[in-house]
Amino acid sequence: MRVPVHFYSYFKDLTGCTQAEEEIPANHTLADLLKLVFHRFPKLAAMEKAMLVAVGVDYQPRNYVLKDGDEVSLFPPVQGG
Amino acid sequence: MKRQLTITSQPIDEPALLRERKASSAMGAVIYFLGVVRETEGEKHISAIEYEAFQKMVEHQFQLLFDSMEKRWPIESVRLVHRVGVVKVNEPSLWVEVVAPHRGEAFAACQWLIDEMKRVVPIWKKPISS
Repeated sequence: MRVPVHFYSYFKDLTGCTQAEEEIPANHTLADLLKLVFHRFPKLAAMEKAMLVAVGVDYQPRNYVLKDGDEVSLFPPVQGG
Repeated sequence: MKRQLTITSQPIDEPALLRERKASSAMGAVIYFLGVVRETEGEKHISAIEYEAFQKMVEHQFQLLFDSMEKRWPIESVRLVHRVGVVKVNEPSLWVEVVAPHRGEAFAACQWLIDEMKRVVPIWKKPISS
């Protein structure tokens, strides 16, 4: 299945884009998806520990199993206010 | 609990927000917080901050925070305005109002909301140098 991946804040600078798409088999997790993303965007891999990951509008853990139609967003720690 | 959330690129109109205040006669405390852009970010002097938001997730995460507030304190209403886009030094980027029966819960809920916002609501700052 194809999973859109959106980038926010300076992750857009690190990847050079606001969005990418990864092809991933069914029943794979966010952790599996991130491996593919980091392979394609090595500069993003250095941010892994602090990275926040959302599926739709909710945060999800790395072991979340992706479903068809899921949209993933990757971003650094938030800074509102 | 009544709740009002506004994410806007327009300047925060404080007089209008104050005019629109509603508090029932059982309420004894109204807390306001204004977050204002400072002239320094770390050690750098800046002229403004550009705020970026993942809008749909901002709205959802704020509603989750409001849900938690409602369960935890007897708050009658919360109103929150957060700017996006460029906000100059000395301009407000955040306005929060909490209405409650007593000051204890009003202060506590307001502080909690802002602390949690800074932890989970997907808004980011990009300083703009002087």
